[in-house]
Amino acid sequence: MNKNKVTTMAAKKLSLKEKYSLLTRDLDWEFSYQDRKDAFPMEEFEGIKITDWSKWEDPFRLTMDAYWKYQAEKEKKLYAILDAFAQNNGHLNVSDPRYVNAIKLFLTGISPQEYQAHQGFAHIGRQYGGVGARIACQMQSIDELRHVQTQVHAMSQFNKYFDGFQSWSNMQDRVWYLSVPTSFFHDARSAGPFEFLVAIGFSFEYVLTNLLFVPFMSGAAYNGDMATVTFGFSAQSDEARHMTLGLEVIKFLLEQHEDNVPIVQKWIDKWFWRGTRLLTLVGMMMDYMLPNKVMSWKEAWEVYFEEAGGALFKDLARYGITMPKYAALVEKEKEHISHQAWWTFYTHGHATGFHTWIPTDEELDWLSEKYPETFDKYYRPRWEMAKKLEAEGKRFYTKALPQLCTTCQIPMLFTEMDDPTQIAYRDTVYNGDRYHFCSDGCKDIFHDEPEKYVQSWLPVHQILQGNCGGPGVEQVLSDYYHFNVGADNMDMKGSPDEKRWKQWKGVA
Amino acid sequence: MTYEVTIEPTGDVIEVEEGQTILDAALRQGVWLPFACGHGTCATCKCQVVEGDVEIGNASPFALMDMEREEGKILACCAIPESDLVIEADIDVDPDFAGYPVQDYRATVREIRDLSPTIKGIVFDLDGEMAFQAGQYINLQLPGVEGSRAFSLANKPSDNTRMELHVRLVPGGAGTTYLHEQLNVGDTIDASGPYGQFFTRKSDTKDVIFIAGGSGLSSPQAMILEMIEEGDQRQIYLFQGARNVAELYNRELFEELASTHENFHYIPALNAPEPGDDWQGFTGFVHDAANSYFDGRFDGHKAYLCGPPPMIDAAITTLMQGRLFERDIHMERFYTAADGGEESTRSALFKRI
Repeated sequence: MNKNKVTTMAAKKLSLKEKYSLLTRDLDWEFSYQDRKDAFPMEEFEGIKITDWSKWEDPFRLTMDAYWKYQAEKEKKLYAILDAFAQNNGHLNVSDPRYVNAIKLFLTGISPQEYQAHQGFAHIGRQYGGVGARIACQMQSIDELRHVQTQVHAMSQFNKYFDGFQSWSNMQDRVWYLSVPTSFFHDARSAGPFEFLVAIGFSFEYVLTNLLFVPFMSGAAYNGDMATVTFGFSAQSDEARHMTLGLEVIKFLLEQHEDNVPIVQKWIDKWFWRGTRLLTLVGMMMDYMLPNKVMSWKEAWEVYFEEAGGALFKDLARYGITMPKYAALVEKEKEHISHQAWWTFYTHGHATGFHTWIPTDEELDWLSEKYPETFDKYYRPRWEMAKKLEAEGKRFYTKALPQLCTTCQIPMLFTEMDDPTQIAYRDTVYNGDRYHFCSDGCKDIFHDEPEKYVQSWLPVHQILQGNCGGPGVEQVLSDYYHFNVGADNMDMKGSPDEKRWKQWKGVA
Repeated sequence: MTYEVTIEPTGDVIEVEEGQTILDAALRQGVWLPFACGHGTCATCKCQVVEGDVEIGNASPFALMDMEREEGKILACCAIPESDLVIEADIDVDPDFAGYPVQDYRATVREIRDLSPTIKGIVFDLDGEMAFQAGQYINLQLPGVEGSRAFSLANKPSDNTRMELHVRLVPGGAGTTYLHEQLNVGDTIDASGPYGQFFTRKSDTKDVIFIAGGSGLSSPQAMILEMIEEGDQRQIYLFQGARNVAELYNRELFEELASTHENFHYIPALNAPEPGDDWQGFTGFVHDAANSYFDGRFDGHKAYLCGPPPMIDAAITTLMQGRLFERDIHMERFYTAADGGEESTRSALFKRI
């Protein structure tokens, strides 16, 4: 080796990794007169054992100045497109006004959870003894705040022209179906710092995030909604950091101590189950709410979980981690849940903050084709019946309030998988009270921490206890949920949304 | 038409087919690049183009921004080469990697020996000195064989004008068939090297486990001979796997080393000993031999694995279940034409294994 080469090596610039390491490690300090345990009081109570924080490998290496530079560029690009969307009346270019209801569900159901993710990461970013983990969580926290803001801004264009967008921040922790995602995040945020990171960073962001974002972004693209496509891409570009953080935390915990393995397995089982239950809403959106379909929920599940997740769990097996409990059940459920969910929303359409409808004949045929094993046998006849009733002027709305699962808070709408005509009911008695569940998965989760879940704020219970106004459902909807009753809810047919759309398009 | 893409700072070279993405080619050729989404939206696989032309593909404008495009950044998951390329990826260079330059050599066959019924030992004289790290490999250009063939060096680096290769005959393999059936003493072959990220981590102080299968003994042999030559005082364990006694080659060499060096331990394992073998040693797969020897605990060691892909995979699983993880496991997989067929989706959990 010649001299030149040696000189070059000595004068070598610091690598990104070295720079990042200096940035992060130098932010930490020795505790000379305080016990570290008092400084990080949440680090041990979950039973997780950390033996050496220096083994934490920084999942991304971005300095703060580079971070602001990149994010500013993304914002500029995004807001230029949002402005163009507004100036060109982009809302008129969507495929069909029914599409906008998917966006209402996103704004009320998903965007507030981005805010909860922001709060959650800000909280746990304080709780780790390792400075690398603290900084990673801090950056993700700022990302999540950006996501909620850009989503709200992107969708504000629709708020000018369509019903149902006006009170999302009020609705998110009050409305019966929105308590599903909200309680999911409340559960994670009230857990310890390591469980939060496994729940949100790993199980949700890494394992399931593609099932949320790909359908929404592609769905928006297929249906002419450039604003949503653009914020989707903008948010996805941050996901690199989030996904690598999720992966790093799982490796770190599993390698730090063998006693962590069963704890992590329990969390993966729990959050995989909770996550798939939550994604029921996405499945329903894909199969029923997008006028131009991207792929069926079943297909999405096969590509993004069975294939990609299968490879992940094959690798995780080397740590002694097995496929999430109930993964086999979920594989059967992919044939059913979207149909069961949309039927529930359709029949409760007077109490939803978006419109519901019967699929068109072409859509029914598409569903028959995509679900050859189940749709014609179990679900199509219901829609044929609903069509008949509607034609007779007897559009069906149920009078009852649904019974909710104590854990996932979804109405008891799921069936037994070996008998799709039988609703699945599970229950247990704890301290003299009986609690109800949609599944063995949700019941297991309750049993592991009953003192946590007996505190669940179940919207239907709260209505019946008189805590949500009333006495009638209509007053709950208007006074407590802040719906514009008669405009936001009910069937798409005959809605103000539909009338305005026809006016804009000059159709009678 | 294929293009050659050099990935800095490690210097790995991959062949990319027409229309193939850089990431796809790299992963298929065992070269790890950071990646996550695989479809141009997350930017985990962002690289810098140093030289050459590349089609950016479907990179999202948010994942690869205009200013970055102007700087020559690409996303490896969507980028398709339009010429030979040099790219720089966000991967770490191992501090023990010496980075010896790759050079071309004329190699003259000095000796061909049957090591086992299926493996030949071939020793070449080089027309110059080759600086390499024990564990690395060279590429041979064989007459009438398309493309190059890679073989690990079995000699220690201080023997720098020779190369010793262990070649197992792969049924239907053009390269190994040529070497077994047509090569003669005195023949001259074009070789280039050294290549690869498999080498002894000398800065590491932990005791060392080698697990070798079949002709995968070559790299560990070079590494062990060098360590012993340098007077390394760490405990060194060699687990050598073979089908039967006839395939267990160079046994005498390692038994001799074990008897003269207290810190060297030799544990051969046969998975299908013949009745006539009178085998007294471990019967079973080589990873099971290691597991039994260490009682299922490997933490505190450094492990080097070399051999066919199924052996490597089984050994990784055994080591990880015994709490030895990626940062302390190094490997060289011996792919053959027969291994190319299976396709599988990879997760981003591990970088190298």
